[in-house]
Amino acid sequence: MPSLDPHNTARPSQPAGGNLALTFSHISVSLGGVSILDDVSASVPCGECVAVVGPNGAGKTTLLLALLNQVPYQGNIHIFATSGGRVPRLGYVPQRLQFDRGLPLTVTDFLVMGSQRRPLWLGVKAAHRDRARALLTSVGADTLERRLIGALSGGELQRVLLALALQQDPDLLVLDEPTAGVDLRGGSLFCELLDRLRRERGFTQLMVSHDLATVTHHASHVILLNRRVAAEGLPKEVLTPAHLSAVFGLHMGLADAHALPGEQATCTATCTAACCRGERHD
Amino acid sequence: MIDSSPLYDLIVRLLPFDAFQARFMQQALVGLILIAPISAALGVHVVNFRMSFFADAIGHSAFAGVALGLIFSVSPRWTMPIFGLLVGLGIMALQRRSALSSDTVIGVVFAAVMAFGLAMVSRVQGVARDLQRFLYGDILTITNADILGLAALGVLIFAFQIWGYNRLLYISLTPVVAKAHRVQVATYQYLFAGLLALVVMFSVWAVGVLLVTALLIVPAATARNLARSAGALFWWAMGLSTTSAVIGLWISAQDWARTATGPTVIMVGVVGFIISQIVVMVHKQPQ
Repeated sequence: MPSLDPHNTARPSQPAGGNLALTFSHISVSLGGVSILDDVSASVPCGECVAVVGPNGAGKTTLLLALLNQVPYQGNIHIFATSGGRVPRLGYVPQRLQFDRGLPLTVTDFLVMGSQRRPLWLGVKAAHRDRARALLTSVGADTLERRLIGALSGGELQRVLLALALQQDPDLLVLDEPTAGVDLRGGSLFCELLDRLRRERGFTQLMVSHDLATVTHHASHVILLNRRVAAEGLPKEVLTPAHLSAVFGLHMGLADAHALPGEQATCTATCTAACCRGERHD
Repeated sequence: MIDSSPLYDLIVRLLPFDAFQARFMQQALVGLILIAPISAALGVHVVNFRMSFFADAIGHSAFAGVALGLIFSVSPRWTMPIFGLLVGLGIMALQRRSALSSDTVIGVVFAAVMAFGLAMVSRVQGVARDLQRFLYGDILTITNADILGLAALGVLIFAFQIWGYNRLLYISLTPVVAKAHRVQVATYQYLFAGLLALVVMFSVWAVGVLLVTALLIVPAATARNLARSAGALFWWAMGLSTTSAVIGLWISAQDWARTATGPTVIMVGVVGFIISQIVVMVHKQPQ
């Protein structure tokens, strides 16, 4: 199985028009004889917010799982070295984590278990506790420190999972459906939080979503996926009525006409939290 | 052979009960005080990984381990742990590769090793007594050599618990995220399966195959009910298993009880679990 390639500092394949964080080249995935991804080629520009959008069953999550080496795939996924020549670190925020809610684990325990070698039954070192607290503060979840993770709501858990991913000090932050399971307002706030963190920390953000309305307002690069890549590029170039109705079908195309009144056309590559403060009329 | 007499003298002084005056009782006590926390430490992760059926299958492969010993005229003390280790690693490898659910994979292996063991044992005369021993265990016949072996295993297990406790928690909660965040998931899983298999085989010696899973699961389950953090979870499991081992051994030696030691230890542990369950139900805030 092809995997992440750390020996790539001298690769000359950086295209004109900016650095790339990673490329998918001719990715095909079949599970149980059913083709899920078919010859997908796409690129993720460095430091940007990249959204993979598409209908249910388009293979969006499978594309992420291929990136994480969780499914066998054909083709090549190339992760470029950082500007310092280092193998990029990856942070992953899963969708709606199914986990054992009966496990007595505090939010601090949860963060420290990934960073501290000393076993939790011998205590948490002050430095690790402080680091966990700082991470929670940066995602606006500092009040959750002593709570049990089994008792967190969906939105709270998502912030804690984001903190866990940020603990990796990631160069590439991968999120699966970050707005699923939270309401429109919550999804929008979470995307604003991601925008702020990306500016502060300078990671590349790759997220998957079927929720065009909230997420694409934060994306600077969109990959429209439906087993194959239907379109790729700036949101205003990709999210055209023609493309959307081709991928989502006629009904979704009409629904989108309601959900995205004109705003999508004004959403440009520099789209940040600022352009999302406008009131929504739906 | 290392002289263990000072240890036993210490026990007599610390626990001045009539029951613990005989040397075989002192050996049994030391054996249990070693086996109980070792099992409980791994049991915490067995519960997290939902691997109690896995542990059960390993325990039942003891029959096949004994049968192999009979066939090759090797002491079952060697064939049992080695065979258990192979079965454990084999199940883990199958689980990681097969599209079948893990309980199906374990069920198949379980059936295979049981059938093989019983078929082989049924050909040989005079092993009925041995079979009983593997069903119910006999901690009272534990030897000094067994105790030294257990102590060595204990060192290994606790080194692993110090090195890997946090990462095992991580993997049991969310293996995909752990792998994405550069945790060597496969290494930990195989190491855990191997060590678990060894511990189960040694526990078969003490409490018998029928109760091995209980020794792993009961203290960890009780600890889950009582602990409020990942660190407390570990200490509760340690404390509960050791306490029930000592109390169970003491009860089994009383004139009014005269019960087999293994089942008595487990029964004491289960009483602890019931109490913890009541505590949970009483303390649960009405939502």
